[in-house]
Amino acid sequence: MIRTSLFAALTVAATAALVAQEPIPQPRTSGGCPVESRAFHDCATAKARTFKPTRTRDGHPDFQGYWRSRNNGIAYDVESGPGSFAVPPTLGEIIEPADKKIPYQPWALARRNELRTKGFEDPQGHCAPSGAPRKNNTLFGWRIIQPRGYVVFLYESMHDYRIIPTDGRQHLPKSIKMWHGDPVGRWEGDTLVVDYTNLNGKHWFDMSGNFQSENIHVVERYTMFTPDTIHFVATIEDATMYTRPWTLNFSLERNKEPGYYQLEYACHEGERDLQHFTDDTGRGESKTFREK
Amino acid sequence: MMALSALIAAAFAATLTAQQAAPAYRPPRLPNGHPDLQGIWQVRNTANWNLQAHGGSYKTPAGLGVVVDPPEGLIPYRPEALAIKEKNWASRETADPLEKCYLAGVPRTMYLPYPLQILQTETEVAILSEYVHTWRWIPLTPLARYPGYESWMGDPRGRWDGDTLVIETVGHNDQTWFDHAGNFHSDALKVTERLRRTAADVITYEATMEDAKVFTRPWTIRMPLYLHRDMDRILENECYIYAEEAGKPIRGEHPK
Repeated sequence: MIRTSLFAALTVAATAALVAQEPIPQPRTSGGCPVESRAFHDCATAKARTFKPTRTRDGHPDFQGYWRSRNNGIAYDVESGPGSFAVPPTLGEIIEPADKKIPYQPWALARRNELRTKGFEDPQGHCAPSGAPRKNNTLFGWRIIQPRGYVVFLYESMHDYRIIPTDGRQHLPKSIKMWHGDPVGRWEGDTLVVDYTNLNGKHWFDMSGNFQSENIHVVERYTMFTPDTIHFVATIEDATMYTRPWTLNFSLERNKEPGYYQLEYACHEGERDLQHFTDDTGRGESKTFREK
Repeated sequence: MMALSALIAAAFAATLTAQQAAPAYRPPRLPNGHPDLQGIWQVRNTANWNLQAHGGSYKTPAGLGVVVDPPEGLIPYRPEALAIKEKNWASRETADPLEKCYLAGVPRTMYLPYPLQILQTETEVAILSEYVHTWRWIPLTPLARYPGYESWMGDPRGRWDGDTLVIETVGHNDQTWFDHAGNFHSDALKVTERLRRTAADVITYEATMEDAKVFTRPWTIRMPLYLHRDMDRILENECYIYAEEAGKPIRGEHPK
């Protein structure tokens, strides 16, 4: 009898846990395309072939205005997965490889699995800048402006920015490593291509421990496929960590909310909670930055 | 004696004539005819340490001061506010918000010892600072103020007054300082900045501060911003993360 009750209680608890881990409700389409990563990629690519964007004075597609990502919530996990503590199940954002898993080398997969249990080491939780491509994988929006020869992203999250020159200039010397990396852009037809090097390798891609090294090379591609949606694709290469390049994609949507006003998100200023999960309390430890 | 006065008067007149005769600088322009202020700029002064004239001290370079109004170069504090400034001065090594890597606010962001990049379209100006990678977005088109807006970097609106870019910023919090010397303001601060390109390599920058809670009258600073000809991009200074990496994390006070 006792055992039955206990079993029943456990079943209820398990059901409650399952309910709690239901995926966050997602819109089923974006720009008329399904949001599942592979189907979205095929659909957005097809639409972009015939879509004619409005243009800036210098003839490039006009991306100006407020945008936000239509991804899986706030990018708990770029891989598809069943979810875990504090990480709801996600459909994933990866399109290559087809299994939607990052093609880690064995040592790197082991490291990722270890980091996955240490969410408090997520650099973004320490107000560190998010780098590429994670900066676009945010719940918060951003403004794009296009001064002549540049595309500039002014992000709400962390109140930081990307300045992308579109003159295809040389990258900085390898000795300079930065949280934001060195973005160099160029236009390929109506696609903005942004080549990222000089990243410091301290970023995660998401909240699930998917990590980088300072050898990372990211190529982001932005193609408008309706007046209010951009197909965002990022290809990641790092022969020291992955067995092959891999690619993720999701939709960026124009923020047309009436009366929207971009407020200031100052992350570090007034921060009061970090001490709860770093080593100056003895209740946790955070070594991510110092190990490297 | 008469001869000497006459000589001085003549020299003075000649100087005036020379100034009048110099052709006015014609700035490069955007397609809509407004001046092009774009480039990477930085001050070459010690305003970040102290807006008022000051001798050198430990970790602080000397400077002639940048307060041009009142003419005596002193910030016109109310007496009770001057006492707060003196307290700030005494604790500046730890109390200066920049010691905690906080956003520098306006106008201090404009005269930090870090470069900033100005980028423009015909309807907006962006000022992007290397220090903590922060931005100011200044619309030149009408945009209603957001009621109750309070922030580190303020809520700016811009317009052209001839060839001068005028930026009016309100919506400040009371947490930022004007400099390392503890010069401060309240959340009633209004800053009016004027940027005019007066030579190919110079923007003459001016800012007038109004804050009736702290000052007895408006006051103004003026300084040149110089164009960097040796940089094609600004880099980054992620101050608070560097502190954590150095094993000296900056922590807020947690309520007991």
